Amino acid sequence: MKLNRLSIAAFRNLQQVEFNPGERFNILHGNNAQGKTNLLESIYLLGTMKSFRHARNRDLITWQAPHGIIRGWVERDGVTREIALLLEREGKKARIDQKLVTRLTDFFGSLNVVVFAPEELAMLKGSPEARRRYLDRAVFSGSPTYILLYHDYYRLLKNRNALLKTGDMTGLDIWSEQLADAGARLARERIAYLADIEPLLQDYYRTIAGTGETVGIGYRPHGIEREALIADGRNAILAGLERSAHEERRHGTTAVGPHRDDLEFLLDGRLLKLHASQGQQRSFILALKMAEIEYLQRTFGAPPILLLDDMTSELDGERNRNLLGFLQQKEMQVFITTTSLRNIMFDGMDHHTTFHVEQGKVITQR
Amino acid sequence: MLHFSASLTKLLGELKKLPGVGEKTALRLAFHLLKSPANVHALAESLVEVGSRVRFCSTCFGITEADPCHICTGDRDSALICVVEEPQDMLAIERSHSFKGRYHVLHGALSPLSGITPGQLKIRELMERLERGGCNEVILATNFTVEGEATALYLARLIKPLGIRITRLAHGIPLGSDLEYVDLATVQRAMEGRSEV
Repeated sequence: MKLNRLSIAAFRNLQQVEFNPGERFNILHGNNAQGKTNLLESIYLLGTMKSFRHARNRDLITWQAPHGIIRGWVERDGVTREIALLLEREGKKARIDQKLVTRLTDFFGSLNVVVFAPEELAMLKGSPEARRRYLDRAVFSGSPTYILLYHDYYRLLKNRNALLKTGDMTGLDIWSEQLADAGARLARERIAYLADIEPLLQDYYRTIAGTGETVGIGYRPHGIEREALIADGRNAILAGLERSAHEERRHGTTAVGPHRDDLEFLLDGRLLKLHASQGQQRSFILALKMAEIEYLQRTFGAPPILLLDDMTSELDGERNRNLLGFLQQKEMQVFITTTSLRNIMFDGMDHHTTFHVEQGKVITQR
Repeated sequence: MLHFSASLTKLLGELKKLPGVGEKTALRLAFHLLKSPANVHALAESLVEVGSRVRFCSTCFGITEADPCHICTGDRDSALICVVEEPQDMLAIERSHSFKGRYHVLHGALSPLSGITPGQLKIRELMERLERGGCNEVILATNFTVEGEATALYLARLIKPLGIRITRLAHGIPLGSDLEYVDLATVQRAMEGRSEV
């Protein structure tokens, strides 16, 4: 999968950009706040319709412009398709090959993108919400219908919370059951994804770290036993809601369910965030990212496009080399942002193109 | 905004209350009406007529001019009651000529998020109808949305003790459609709900 051309109008600080990326490593360098990450974000939007910075629509459009447009020409298996995204204040419209896409699930899969940014390192020690966001994004990129499940669950959750807040519990059991049903489905998808990814993670970790340590990634349900959730998710969630009835009434919010669940990262059976060195943590996240890419390649038959936002300074020489070797072997197209070309290991790249980004303009340097 | 005609401003205000009509559409409709006075009269008359004649049937709460409505009084199967959210849903089923029973319109679906409670729907009236006897199957034809499903489940729970058979409309691949054009979520659900042949 290759992005051959990108055309942007009125997206953030990119007023008018025509960009012809190379087929392997694309280095975007420039000072901070010139538009490097905006460029990555535009590619990410073309693939997912979402921003990896979880921004609102109106923040995506250049100040005082009526709407923004991102168009990309994506080549896969010898066929080039034009993906266009119209950004309006109240929503987005997508066209593929100039035909309006009305169903969200028809849109996804045309351009697979994976982003790797410093926030993902921070996720290790961050809030459960950051880890849930990471997991949902990863599951969704491999299984587009996950988003419908996700929307259903959150709609049920909002309804149930609204009911809890009224203090009138008529029909609460109905919402509990529906929530438990949808929640069990959501958790099942998340757990299945983690089971698929874990052996890949293990392999890549051993290659990167060069040691025999065992790594793991586990799903940690909030207020429910993991075994119970796996065995009979619906009833496990229902029982959990039952147990928290008192707490729920007091706080007016749903106490258990996938919206509270967490992920745990393990090194030799112990929590990574507490027991691993900085180096081990970085190797872990890098291996996790590689596993994610490998998984997408197996699912869609082609590797995704990788967006590396300001990561060269986060990874040391050895890990950088490992990552470049991996990307090279997969023949992936990669977009790398950096403030300094000195951080880039050009000798590890078979084919690269350099671009200078300044005040919302992209200049090819070769 | 428009100061040159008070009555036009009023008309625009009324038009804008309609679903799907914003500032621009309201203006377009208003100016169209201004150009054809004959249409204005016909439209105005039918609006007044609808307002004064059309009402909800006191049995099924569908729209009717005579109360009770012709479906409730006709020779349709009174042992079958199909429960729908809105009068439009009833029309959709009627157009299909697939149903020979009677209806009950709830006028909405449960939605705590929008403040809709069981008390605001025609649920008490449905239960009274069922308790009077004569019905042996209730078909739950609420929408396949989060709120519609919750409403169906709520009704099933209420009706069960009466010993009446409760069914739900099937959902899956639309008839006459090629599998390849059906959206992924529908295919997934249809696969899960597959049936023996």
